[in-house]
Amino acid sequence: MAIITFPLPRPRLPQMPLSVVLVAILFVVIVVLAVLAPWIAPQDPNDQSLLARLRPPGYTYRDVTYLLGTDDLGRDLLSRVLYGARISLAVSVLSVAVSTVVGVSLGMVAGWYRGWVETLIMRAVDIMMSIPAILLAVLTVAVLGPGFIKLVLVLGLTRWPRYTRVAFGQTLTVAGLPFIRASELAGAGAGRILIHHILPNIAGPILIVATAEFGLMILFESGLSFLGLGIQPPTPSWGSIMSVGRQYLERAPWIVFVPGACLFLLVFSVNVLGDWLRDWIDPRSRSR
Amino acid sequence: MLRYIVNRLLQAVIAIFGVLTIVFVVMHLSGDPTLLLVPQDASAEVIANLRRQLGFDRPIGVQYLDYLGDLLRLDFGTSVVQRVPVSQIVAARVPYTIELAAGALAVALGLGIPIGVVMATRRGGWIERGLTAVVVTGQSVPTFLSGILLIAIFGVLLRWLPTSGTGSISALVMPSIALGSVSMATFARMTRIAILDELGKDYVRAATARGMRMDQTILRHVLRNASIPLITITALEIGNLLAGAVIIETVFAWPGIGLLAIQSIQARDFLVVQMIVLLISVVYVLTSVLADLIYGFVDPRIRLMR
Amino acid sequence: MRPRLSVRLLASTLLAAVLAAGPALAQTKELLTIDLPGDPATLDPHLQWNTDSYSVYRNIFDNLVTRNAEGEIVPQIATGWTQDDDTTLTFTIRDDVAFHDGTSLTAEDVAYSINRIIDPDLNSPQLSQFNQIERAEAIDPTTVRITTKSPYPALLAQLVKLSIVPKAYVEAVGDEEFNLKPMGSGPYKLTAWRKGVETELEAFADYWGGQPPFERVLFRAVPDVSTRIADLKTGQADLIRDVPPDQASSVDGASGVKLLSVPTERVGYLYINAQAGPTEDVRVRQAIAYALDRQTLIDALLEGYASPVNILGAPPIFGYTDQIEGYPYDPDKARALLQEAGAEGATLEFLTSPSYNQAMVQAIQQMLQDVGLDVSISSSDQATFLKRRQGDPENAGSLAIGAWSCACQDADGIIFPLFRTGSIWAKYSNPAFDEAVDAARSTLDEAKRKAEYETAYQILREDVPGLGLYQVYALYGASERLQWQPTANESMFVMDMSWSE
Repeated sequence: MAIITFPLPRPRLPQMPLSVVLVAILFVVIVVLAVLAPWIAPQDPNDQSLLARLRPPGYTYRDVTYLLGTDDLGRDLLSRVLYGARISLAVSVLSVAVSTVVGVSLGMVAGWYRGWVETLIMRAVDIMMSIPAILLAVLTVAVLGPGFIKLVLVLGLTRWPRYTRVAFGQTLTVAGLPFIRASELAGAGAGRILIHHILPNIAGPILIVATAEFGLMILFESGLSFLGLGIQPPTPSWGSIMSVGRQYLERAPWIVFVPGACLFLLVFSVNVLGDWLRDWIDPRSRSR
Repeated sequence: MLRYIVNRLLQAVIAIFGVLTIVFVVMHLSGDPTLLLVPQDASAEVIANLRRQLGFDRPIGVQYLDYLGDLLRLDFGTSVVQRVPVSQIVAARVPYTIELAAGALAVALGLGIPIGVVMATRRGGWIERGLTAVVVTGQSVPTFLSGILLIAIFGVLLRWLPTSGTGSISALVMPSIALGSVSMATFARMTRIAILDELGKDYVRAATARGMRMDQTILRHVLRNASIPLITITALEIGNLLAGAVIIETVFAWPGIGLLAIQSIQARDFLVVQMIVLLISVVYVLTSVLADLIYGFVDPRIRLMR
Repeated sequence: MRPRLSVRLLASTLLAAVLAAGPALAQTKELLTIDLPGDPATLDPHLQWNTDSYSVYRNIFDNLVTRNAEGEIVPQIATGWTQDDDTTLTFTIRDDVAFHDGTSLTAEDVAYSINRIIDPDLNSPQLSQFNQIERAEAIDPTTVRITTKSPYPALLAQLVKLSIVPKAYVEAVGDEEFNLKPMGSGPYKLTAWRKGVETELEAFADYWGGQPPFERVLFRAVPDVSTRIADLKTGQADLIRDVPPDQASSVDGASGVKLLSVPTERVGYLYINAQAGPTEDVRVRQAIAYALDRQTLIDALLEGYASPVNILGAPPIFGYTDQIEGYPYDPDKARALLQEAGAEGATLEFLTSPSYNQAMVQAIQQMLQDVGLDVSISSSDQATFLKRRQGDPENAGSLAIGAWSCACQDADGIIFPLFRTGSIWAKYSNPAFDEAVDAARSTLDEAKRKAEYETAYQILREDVPGLGLYQVYALYGASERLQWQPTANESMFVMDMSWSE
């Protein structure tokens, strides 16, 4: 992946509107907080104080002040939300990576070789697109049981067809271009052509899909965790914290609202940045 | 055209067959419901007997062929948990999901189209930016979170709306909004694009040149022409709404097929899960075929895109 | 915290009782609405035995015998019984009982009901509770004789759960139709079953036991706890089941509603694998017992709505004993035992599923980690959990929590399936224990049975293949006007309820 030199429509970074800049800062802040969680979290996220459960923000117990309150086991909500950000981000980044690699490879192979390879792959895409991804994910995770790796694989392997469709269509277009023919005649192998010539030329549209999917993956992860199908307790993720908090909506609303607000801000910033990125890579979509 | 339709439907049948196989294998590999059915003090012998009686001791291939055979005769089987024909169990829940999907669609169209129209016609101003924020927000709030928020505010705090239950318009309001907000964003975006497309066309320029007022033009011509891609999107969104219902029905305890699916997965009630998946896939596939047809009908060039 | 609540509850109950005493105040309420967590799975009483199902169908059917408020087994459809010999019991049946279609209930129906539930062709999930019965036969219209395969002391306790179904009707409509349109002789008859939503019952005017208290009863399926509580507070429900202990305060403090709590026969326990992994060493198991601060778990997580127990059983069961010494909370002793066993830092897998109290699981995990064990939680769905927990010891994890009730109020229904060699739950084997529970199972001599169970519990205390944690309280939220005393076996008979304006 060293040579992603996709053709940028403009040579240098275009202007970012102020609003997008602000959103980008927000996104960076969330990511930095997540990465730094082990150093900035005031408490161990799994440290329980059974006698200080469901306390409101600002509560102090045994010289510890819980800035955002405590959860149903007296754990510091702020620390759990910070650590939860790591899980939510890691799951979505990795599952996007899995589906990109799988989807793009299949799409390029189908578009390059055509024939029965294409039929096989594209029919598989049809099958996967005929079932709502969330339903398939719920089913598989319910059956496999929760776990970080399982979650990443399930999310990644239910979403690859979208990439395949795009990569397939793009490969078809690019494969017909003269310079590809030229390098084929010069004796370059299929693998080399696909990776060195076709991939860079179709990276733009794929990046658009990946960004949109990234926001969706964050939502999926939290949705599955919310249904109790995420990672193993006591490891926190935003969805699992909210899933517990829902039981205490009246008594301790902060347990739902804090991770909920974070989740919203993260997905919101990803979506805004994704829109901006799409307009930048594919200016036609804006002018339309 | 006819050949295209037949071809597309044939593909759809293969796709649905594939989906059923995946679901069948995933569910059966993970163990059967026998252990969930017996009381705690059942002996190994009783469990083995029940498993044999229910047919779960047979090789998975045999069970699969058996299932397909029944399916060909349109026999969906009898639930081992409820001892009632699966078709009855699912049929009893379908109306609730239709009601919810209709409510959500109403919310999505009712808000999405006007927002899209305004965004397209008031370009570049604060209004557009504000509405863009609204649209992105709609996309960014997970349905379960908006569900919880609505329950917390209007159900628990203000007590304006019932927190659960069915059968009245007031009970339908919150789940419809929670489920419809994502589709609302899609409709707003698509309306904006469709209208911008139309506005660039000659007849609009001609109309404005003739001195027709802009809002009249939009109402009279642009919206009508822009509605074809919107119908396509609507068809596609129906499938997404059904999928979204899985989570939102759980949050609101709405007794539709989404909640039934979750409960049946937990209870390992295989046949019920398979019928729901079949049902949703059929709707999903049919609506996308329909969308393809409308699209292909209007513009044969974009048949591949979706 | 709890005593204060109880006093308030007692006071309000007394007040209500005083108010209800005047005849002019005994008004009728037409519709009673009850929120259950789920929809009944089946309404054929011989199929599913789960709380959501039997909460509804036990109002449609009568039982041969039942339990009174004190927990004693008393006649219902039976008027009395005699023990002919060790394996034969003869019941006399009431002659004034009619099914909802007007036909009268006879000994034929009783015999049919017993034979139906033990008939392998029905595939009843409840079979294991009745399979000690050889057969039942009607001697004359009011006499039924039941023969067991061997002397079976828990027979009456099991028969409390047996609903009487009408032979002629079931045979005429078939099993499938009967499940959809059940008909019995109980105080209520089914009028509508909107699957997944609600079940509606109507009073049976000719009920032999008198006029049912409400004209109609509606059981609704409301899975979400906070929604059930909101329904109760807003008057959309009159009675709700399954209030979690840490939500009790939100019911108890509200106006117009009250909290009903009752200690049940259900016992919360920790399973410890005695046949595989680090816990194969009895010292590790004992260390775990010393490491748990039961009182804190009860006070903090269950907010006082549970009582600690020293054995794996609660006071309402036959065979309960308070003669066994419990393990005190002693983390130092726990560490010492672990050191002795060379098991410091040993890795234990804690199996669980979303059906169990996750906070309790994580709190226990923390307490065990505090004494130097490395506990990891493996949460899976219930089906997978059961498969592992009941399967091969090597794969059955080291720990799991559970809440056990056999609804028979007998130690035979608890420690026999949990720990008897050869039982699917047992990851433990001790011939002395087996001997004791086998002996208690095959004699009708109550004193001897009690003694055997005390022996068995003493063995369990030393071996710790499982640890009783607390007696579970059933918590209900009810309208202040509903008069009802919930029972230890978690049944819900509308006939026992009344309304005071």
